[in-house]
Amino acid sequence: MTHEKIILATEGKENQRSIDTYLANGGYTAIKKAAKMDRKAIIDLVKASGLRGRGGAGFPTGLKWSFVPPDDGKPKYLICNNDESEPGTFKDRHISSVNPHMIIEGMLIGGYTVGAEKGYIYSRWEFQLEIGYLEQAIKEAYEAGFLGQNIFGSGINFELDHYSGAGAYICGEETGLISSLEGKKGQPKLKPPFPALEGYLRRPTVVNNTETFCNIPHIITHGAEVFRRYGTEKSPGTKLFSISGALNRPGVYEVPLGYSLKKLIEEDCGGLKDGKKIKAVVPGGMSAPLLMPAQVETATLDYECMQEMGSMLGSGAIMIIDDQQDVVDLLRITTDFFAHESCGQCTPCREGTGWLKNLVNGILEGTEGPAAVDRIYQVADHMEGRTICALSDAAAWPAKSYVKNFGEEIKAYIEKKGNRA
Amino acid sequence: MAGVIKVASPPEDNNLFQKGYGYISTISQGMWKTWSIFWEQITGKEKTNTLEWPEAPANYSDRFKGKHFLTRRPDGQVRCTACFLCATHCPADCIHIEAGQHPTNEIEKYPVRFEIDILRCVFCGFCEEACPVDAIRLGPEYAMTGNYGEKWVYTKDYLADRTQLQGGITSVKDEQEKHPTTDHHPNGEEKIKALARHMQH
Amino acid sequence: MSETVTFKLNGKDVSVPKGWTVMKAAAKEGVEIPHFCYHEGLSIAGVCRFCMVKVEGRPKLEIACNLQATEGMVVSTTEDEVKEAHKWALEFHLINHPLDCPICDQAGECSLQDYYMSVGKYESEMTRPKVLKPKALDVGDQLVLDTERCILCSRCVRFEEEITKTDALGIFNRGDRATIGTYPDKRLEHNYQTNLVDICPVGAFTSKDFRFKQRVWFLKDKKAICPGCSTGCEVDVYGKPEDSHYYRIKPRHSEVNGHWMCDKGRYYYDHMNPVGRLRKAISGIEGSRKFVDTDEAIADLARKISNSSVSDMALLVSPQYTNEEYAALLEFFVTQMGVKNVYQWREPTESTEDFDGILYRGDHNANTAGLAAALKAVGLENNIENQFDDLAKSGAKLVVALAPELSSTYPSLKEQINKLEELPFVSMWTIDGKVFEYPGINHAIPMKGFAEKKGSFIGHSGVRKLEQPFPAGNEHARDLVETVEALTKVMAHL
Repeated sequence: MTHEKIILATEGKENQRSIDTYLANGGYTAIKKAAKMDRKAIIDLVKASGLRGRGGAGFPTGLKWSFVPPDDGKPKYLICNNDESEPGTFKDRHISSVNPHMIIEGMLIGGYTVGAEKGYIYSRWEFQLEIGYLEQAIKEAYEAGFLGQNIFGSGINFELDHYSGAGAYICGEETGLISSLEGKKGQPKLKPPFPALEGYLRRPTVVNNTETFCNIPHIITHGAEVFRRYGTEKSPGTKLFSISGALNRPGVYEVPLGYSLKKLIEEDCGGLKDGKKIKAVVPGGMSAPLLMPAQVETATLDYECMQEMGSMLGSGAIMIIDDQQDVVDLLRITTDFFAHESCGQCTPCREGTGWLKNLVNGILEGTEGPAAVDRIYQVADHMEGRTICALSDAAAWPAKSYVKNFGEEIKAYIEKKGNRA
Repeated sequence: MAGVIKVASPPEDNNLFQKGYGYISTISQGMWKTWSIFWEQITGKEKTNTLEWPEAPANYSDRFKGKHFLTRRPDGQVRCTACFLCATHCPADCIHIEAGQHPTNEIEKYPVRFEIDILRCVFCGFCEEACPVDAIRLGPEYAMTGNYGEKWVYTKDYLADRTQLQGGITSVKDEQEKHPTTDHHPNGEEKIKALARHMQH
Repeated sequence: MSETVTFKLNGKDVSVPKGWTVMKAAAKEGVEIPHFCYHEGLSIAGVCRFCMVKVEGRPKLEIACNLQATEGMVVSTTEDEVKEAHKWALEFHLINHPLDCPICDQAGECSLQDYYMSVGKYESEMTRPKVLKPKALDVGDQLVLDTERCILCSRCVRFEEEITKTDALGIFNRGDRATIGTYPDKRLEHNYQTNLVDICPVGAFTSKDFRFKQRVWFLKDKKAICPGCSTGCEVDVYGKPEDSHYYRIKPRHSEVNGHWMCDKGRYYYDHMNPVGRLRKAISGIEGSRKFVDTDEAIADLARKISNSSVSDMALLVSPQYTNEEYAALLEFFVTQMGVKNVYQWREPTESTEDFDGILYRGDHNANTAGLAAALKAVGLENNIENQFDDLAKSGAKLVVALAPELSSTYPSLKEQINKLEELPFVSMWTIDGKVFEYPGINHAIPMKGFAEKKGSFIGHSGVRKLEQPFPAGNEHARDLVETVEALTKVMAHL
């Protein structure tokens, strides 16, 4: 099934990354249009489009941009969050290697709108190839006059730099990213104050996901109505889903929001291979609660449906858990990951993630009895909603989900291992 | 005849003979009692309550609170970490501890001085109860003798290391760490039995 | 005009200036909100997640330390949800905390212990092995660091950043391996290290000086003023009056010193301890010197004074006594007896204008200004320079010398006292037992320490009051007021 590619417009084309391909595809026209628009009009347009942040939180982009205070003569900053650390997500990496110029154009428009004259693309350090592509794209944009001072005579100034992280999931959190960018330990900051008022170097800062920026040129060029052609009322537009698992055709797919999950799995991805069956589906990155097969039948890929089903759309990383996979091992991967990545600032997360990891490893070693399963749920339950950032929640949700949906299976595993109670 | 209470007649004054008789009668009754019991016990008819210690054994219960001893760690050092809980709880204020830095980091704090003023001690056992690591116990030894002018202060060495302790008793806490599944701690129990027996000699 | 906001705290209306946090408002109202990382003298961190409160209309609990009070807010600290949050916050803090209470100096004043007893009292669910970290590290001349006990509240890191601006501490690693520490091969070098011991809510930072000396529940504390320099920080002196022993000094919050004091002042309890203190008076009038009761020494001195002429007498006064003591002393000697030769005893190597920018001043005397005022009040010229040498050359026949209470603040003390050997009779009133070693001193009266006096100093920022004296360290110690009173009585009969 073919879908219209908006964000991945240059995918598959020869020299897909180069600025020439981008220009030939109608690139860098949106910024020229935006440069003539009033800043407030752009914000209203983005609000009307209903674009929601594509990084995971789904916060309305227009609303976020409207929080930035008016000019006070001091600098403001625009940051593209290309940290993409949510396990299972590889869409931003794909964008960076397929259509990097769209990110730049989106940032140009964003920078003009909020009054930021300095932007950073913050990529995770593991994107060794993609960092090269982005830096090349930035260089090309400067050379072509689309970055720098007074770009194409419009009076807009925008300097763009690339900055890479050093291997921390927590730097995908916007204030953790800002701390890292400031050269400090990537630890999230207390909110309030919010970054839009006090962010990078205590100046107003807007942080948006790579994919979010990629939607902006399309909205400016074609308007809110055309944008809303795809998607649902509350979740308009298209989204990139990175889908993985024992599928025939895993990969990154750009589909309209509200698309049927079942269709994506069976038609676009060609279903599971080797006769495997779906045991559970993770719809939005490793921190999203599981969807069971019954839910997968009717699930649609939009923010509301996922929330109703007790999960979240998140970053759109879909992972298929098949019936031959060991649930306890998956739980171990989850708890090990969050224990490794917790920044250690606030106590419930720091101690809770360590405790969860410890419990699950105890189950695997054979030193924990069936009471450990309920203990995992209890600990995770008390980690939620008590911390500076959402890592603690992100660690708690999958743990609770596994226990809720596969509690019996884990207990059977424990019994089989012959642990003492 | 309201308002008049009949009282017993006041005691008449006894004359000299009556008084003398009273004294002699009670004295002879008393002496009769004394000599008859003496006779019965001497001839073995009646059992005395006197324990002919030390020839006969004095058996106190396991819970008897006698002379204190400080327990040891498996490597021989005193178990006490100088936390002062025993000194705090002592109602007689008789425990004096001076804490010090131990050369090894694993132990860190140990008692440089640990003294019990045994004349002040009331043998209540609060120190034993208060100790979080079973470092001090009141044992079965009840014979504490000495001369006037001697120092009646038991020092750390005496409490942990006197010959009767046969090298020292390991604390229950360390035994529990070695044998976590049982409540039976052979080393300590044997030595305490030996201490009790020692009292019989 | 600053605005005020009114909000409801546990059902009661509270009005505070705009911008105050709920934590600050609760402290003012006397409502206890348990916390670890919040400290009034430092910036807000919000990392312990213990000070949670329920705000009506908000789905999640909020931390009180970062929650600005807004008009009409309804805040509760007593809901079941909040109590549950307290228990679990404690649980998370304690699961990797070592069982060090018996060997930890913080026992008795430890936030974890105190809060467990007040809002905890739960059965722990943790059965897994704990995370182990380095213990008993030497990170500064005054400090011992135990990283396992640390609850990562970051108060010490913020102190280093904001107060001393030395940035010597950091939190290394992440997750439950996060460890507090100094940078490789670096130690803390500044004069405010022991404040870290005060602000650390647990026994991670402990004082080397106080290490293992005493359990805090045996100590009594009384308010005093640090006598070490002209700043006059407000302090609490901790001691065991039944043993006449002092153990430590901690700062108390005041406008003058904030929440802090310097390390130098921390040692000014030791000179009042029995070892090294002058326990009895010394009198050498009948020939060789020997220890006598103070009353006898005073009587001897009174006789000596009444046999001397006023022009042969001299007073040598150091600026480390209280205003009240100076008043009594000068009233007796100057006003009543007419002694004109009054000399100031100061340290020649001092630089009084020094200031380290935080608290410690170069004038290492508590009452320079007070002495100056007292001298002026009796019509004597105030000369702040050291007049010791002038006295030594003056040929006075009877000298009453008031030694500095803190011998350590006068490095040239020994040298100075030896110069007095030439003078025929010197009576030194001092707390320092070493006075017996100086051959030039014929007579001595033991003095009380600053923590045993009631009185006042005039410090750099005004009057500093000593209001809660301990009982005197020994029965023979006196302060100047009492000594002068006794002298007056005896001389009245001569």
